Amino acid sequence: MSSTVLRRGGPAVAAAALVSVALAACGSSGSTPQPPGAGAGSGGSSYDSIITGGPKADASAISASSWAQAVQKQGYLRRGGTDTGPLFSLKDPATGRVTGFDAGLSQMLAHYITGRTDVPNLEKLTITTVDTRETLLQNGTVDAVFATYTITPARAQKVDFAGPYYESGDAIMVKKDNSTITSVDDLHGKKVATESNSTAALALKQKVPDAQVTLFQTDEECQAAVQQGRVDAYVLDQGILVSDASTNKQVKVVGQPFTQEPYGIGLPKDQGGAKQFVNDFLKKIYSDGSWAKLWKATIGTIVSGNPPTPPTIGSAPGS
Amino acid sequence: MDVVTGHVGYILGGFLVTVELTLLGYVGALLLGTVLAVFRVGPITPLRIVGAAYVEFFRNIPLLTFLILFVFGLPDVGLTFSLFLSSAVCLAMTGAAYVCESVRSGINAVPVGQAEAARAIGLSFSKVLRLVVLPQAFRTMVPPLVNVFIGMALGSSIAAAVGVAELTNRTQQLNLEYAQAVVTFLVAGAFYVAMAFLGAGGGRWLERRLGARR
Repeated sequence: MSSTVLRRGGPAVAAAALVSVALAACGSSGSTPQPPGAGAGSGGSSYDSIITGGPKADASAISASSWAQAVQKQGYLRRGGTDTGPLFSLKDPATGRVTGFDAGLSQMLAHYITGRTDVPNLEKLTITTVDTRETLLQNGTVDAVFATYTITPARAQKVDFAGPYYESGDAIMVKKDNSTITSVDDLHGKKVATESNSTAALALKQKVPDAQVTLFQTDEECQAAVQQGRVDAYVLDQGILVSDASTNKQVKVVGQPFTQEPYGIGLPKDQGGAKQFVNDFLKKIYSDGSWAKLWKATIGTIVSGNPPTPPTIGSAPGS
Repeated sequence: MDVVTGHVGYILGGFLVTVELTLLGYVGALLLGTVLAVFRVGPITPLRIVGAAYVEFFRNIPLLTFLILFVFGLPDVGLTFSLFLSSAVCLAMTGAAYVCESVRSGINAVPVGQAEAARAIGLSFSKVLRLVVLPQAFRTMVPPLVNVFIGMALGSSIAAAVGVAELTNRTQQLNLEYAQAVVTFLVAGAFYVAMAFLGAGGGRWLERRLGARR
């Protein structure tokens, strides 16, 4: 959701927010400009070679899981997710391809099972929202959900989580000239915006119950609310805020992440050894370096430094 | 079901906001829409043009689009209204276009002889409207105005998109925490149905009352 066009502030932000909401309202056809520097992850041959360079499952592993057998039979993975998530799962309007860290992992898993190398056709994306993710897994519309899906015990009662495969945390964005908010403790009694389908709203409720939380639908709207002074701060995943602030000179990101968000792969509950199978896949891509390569090509285009150590499988409550 | 029983106050609070939004929007739409309808049936050409232009604009722009422009566009020219007020005003302005057309069709349904007779005994334009045409027109307006009410009650859920903590927004917040979309949306849906049902019932009551006087 980041692009240089929408960062100039003023009417441009409002117009961009409008466009993105209008598109979101039309459903799955949302097309959003690429974040700067994400070209490496936008579906070029290097991105594809990371996917196809991933491991392939043994026949014995697949035959042990009826879930994997079904995916192998259909020849692609039916993924639930989004196509408007910068760095994680974003559609390039020019090529129509969805790429990013979540998208890449899903494609890598599909390649792991099917062995096919035509990356654009490895997954079929169904757009999910917070309101539909569990239901779409339960009724079998999708095989798996990769959607910056935070593992929580409440959700784990309805679906299985493989992973965590990534750990993130919420940070704070304020206007450039704001010097009163530097950490989560400064948010008491303040107006705070966040995205309506993020877990940041829950984190805020726990850490600063007296903050006035306003939920907007998109990242652009939250940013516009900060710029226009409608809210004092905007809380969301640090990676996304940093990427926003890298192109929007009117805002800045303060403090260190104050939550731990373990992202997991949502799978149908107790079905065909899916959880065990996908966890084995994650262990393989952790150890052979595919996970780190994918991180570098996607999140690593915004976050500097070396890829972090992948989180330990099963370490989050609910996974 | 725990998610509902444990948050009755929270859900009811959201419903209250929805009711407030709907009523504020509807009253605003009735007032503005009636004025516009008078413009449209009146003899003054510039006002007729204003009325027609208003209806064509607001009937043809999606409420969500208008709301986002209102909420995120106006601050750029120095006007910042609260999210609730913005939503109520947008609902009223969009609803007014529909009210205007309902009222206009009601006025047109009154036989032209009524107005001619009123003019013949020397009543002014405003008296013709107020004493002769509108009271008769109101009967035929009730069903379409009830439609507008129901449309606005359901349409108020769009305010959730700009962060107003009304019924839909709170339902989404509950889902975030408890992952119980089916149950929570069923409950929210029941509230909307109840509100629409009440609106329709009120409409039937009005029709009966007005019909008896005929």
